[in-house]
Amino acid sequence: MRAVELKDVSFSYDGEKQVLNHVSFTAEHGEVTLLIGPSGCGKSTLLSILSGIIPNITAGNLTGQVSVDGESILNLGTDEICRKVGIVLQNPEAQIVHKRVEDEIAFGLENIGLAEEKIASQIDTVCKMMELDKNWQTRTLSGGQKQRLVTASTLAMGQKVLVLDEPLANLDQTGGRELMELLRNLAGHGYAVIVVEHRVDMVLPYADSLWTVEEGTVRKIDDKQEYLNTNTQKIKDTLPEYRPQENLFSLENISYSAGGREILRDVTFSVPKGARTVILGENGCGKTTLLRLIARLNRPTGGKIVQTLDACFDRRFNPDKRWFQSVGVVYQNPNYQLFMPTVYQEVRFGAVSDEYAEEILERFSISHIRNRHPQSLSEGQKRRASIAAIAATQPKVLLLDEPTVGRDYQGLKELVELLNELHRQTGCTMVTVTHDVRCAEALCDKAVLIEGGTVQKQGGKELVREYFGERS
Amino acid sequence: MSGDKNILYPLTGILSAVVILLSGLIFAKNIWCPVLLVWFFIWLMLFGCYRACLKVLLPMLVLGGIFAGITYLASGDGMSAMSMMNRMAAVFLAVVPGTSITPVQMARCLSSLRMPRAVTLGMLIALSFVPLLTLEIRRVREAMVTRGAGSIFSPQILYRAFLIPLITRLVNISDTLSLSVETRGFTLSGSDYSIYHLQSFRPKDAVYIIGIVLGVVGMAVIV
Repeated sequence: MRAVELKDVSFSYDGEKQVLNHVSFTAEHGEVTLLIGPSGCGKSTLLSILSGIIPNITAGNLTGQVSVDGESILNLGTDEICRKVGIVLQNPEAQIVHKRVEDEIAFGLENIGLAEEKIASQIDTVCKMMELDKNWQTRTLSGGQKQRLVTASTLAMGQKVLVLDEPLANLDQTGGRELMELLRNLAGHGYAVIVVEHRVDMVLPYADSLWTVEEGTVRKIDDKQEYLNTNTQKIKDTLPEYRPQENLFSLENISYSAGGREILRDVTFSVPKGARTVILGENGCGKTTLLRLIARLNRPTGGKIVQTLDACFDRRFNPDKRWFQSVGVVYQNPNYQLFMPTVYQEVRFGAVSDEYAEEILERFSISHIRNRHPQSLSEGQKRRASIAAIAATQPKVLLLDEPTVGRDYQGLKELVELLNELHRQTGCTMVTVTHDVRCAEALCDKAVLIEGGTVQKQGGKELVREYFGERS
Repeated sequence: MSGDKNILYPLTGILSAVVILLSGLIFAKNIWCPVLLVWFFIWLMLFGCYRACLKVLLPMLVLGGIFAGITYLASGDGMSAMSMMNRMAAVFLAVVPGTSITPVQMARCLSSLRMPRAVTLGMLIALSFVPLLTLEIRRVREAMVTRGAGSIFSPQILYRAFLIPLITRLVNISDTLSLSVETRGFTLSGSDYSIYHLQSFRPKDAVYIIGIVLGVVGMAVIV
């Protein structure tokens, strides 16, 4: 019996535009099924149908047959479907209700009426499986630990069909590999595991079957290896070799503590002017904190950061408008940095001139959406618009925090080419935090590896290769 | 104050907080009121709320002293100043039992009393939403600064650069949270559910509440 079967399924949110068009899809028990496709192609819609979110919570026109273990789920409520299908949604941070890991995992089990002893034993089992301590406070967990917690909360409910929407988005190489090994192991115990993920290189080796979702249709790919070869190649660096210049930032014995926890200690390295520096490291090692210290969003608790951008910035630590005109900060989540009524106004806001704003719109290929509200764009377009808006101020330094998270391969490739082209034309100094093996080398002249809150190694592209090589 | 958790049955804690507050306010003008408040303090310490008691002690004395001082300077009446000190102390002491109850304990206690789960879950989410909201506000403010958006005190900037990104984020978070809760089996249709770590009323809770009530009755007799 098939774990999941969709037959001739069509779906439209508004009754006009078909998101899925006469789609058929199957997943088997004992297998890991990978669903891939460009951003906004309908993958999440498909998962919502499988888990009963559509049509129970999100309305729309749904036709066709959807069955789990041979039984149609179209007339069941989410409270019944959730006993058959467990779904792990994106954005784990927003899903946590309780303060303690134990209570968070218990929540779903209470909802399905499990006895207290059974709840306790399920909590112990999944905590061990996901390497969580049930007494941990949820607020203090790292992004990777939160991802493991929401996965554990679903796993504990014991459904035999598991659906995961981009579970690796917040995980580093090691965390991602561990999660995929766990899912592979679950499949070995008879679970049907369905994963939607852009990081094909990390998931495909663990997948038994591969499906693509494109323009409303779903298709099974028979030759996995060929797909892997064409869609996971490392992106090539097209820029000439970097010629060493003076240092723009020198970090001298930097340390940083918050909430009684030491995050960085004795960090010493320099950011050369005009170079592309990549900061590597596992989840929670302090990469983003380091970027924030360079951006002056936080003040180091020890040591000092010497900058040679402009002597006037030495007079006061607190960053002002002038500082951020020189130091552009691109957030991992573009939603925070977009606020103007149109894309054009967004790019023009802070731009060095109207002409340059126009040039940036063209260069970032967002001219055709210039009159759209930024918050109405797709995630990929929002990412472009947010980088374009920062780039329009012609910053001397561009600090990028995980700019490639959630990007499909094509989108990732375009983004990297765009950043490198911007770097080539403006000569700006770039510092990128990333754990994406496909693009790290293409954005790197210098690499700094952070481990345990301190600099473990420094080098060039060879360090990137060594780092990801060790973890693959 | 996390060390004081799970000391009192949640409803006992809430009830005692109300009794402490009301009796403190009612008897504030009585010369014996400080004795009653000291009794409450000792009783709370004896029943395990010592961390919370010690934490409120300093702010209670400092703020109470300041307000009592202001009252004395304004009225020149020592009795009024003492009343003010008593009221402030009652407010601080009433906080202590509440800090010994976690939101999840309260939610489970109310669920076991068949209170609608929409209310108990709503309460839990509202409480967990406060730190999330604080974090989001901080992130949006920070993002504003990085874009050079200017002062938040300008209505136009407040609306565009602060409220729009904040509301967008909060709507997204609420949407995800409701999906997460529903796909983990939460329903308002009244289907069966169980309660993990069920909270029950213990003899210790009875002794605790009797001690609080005895204090109030004793005070009433003296008055």
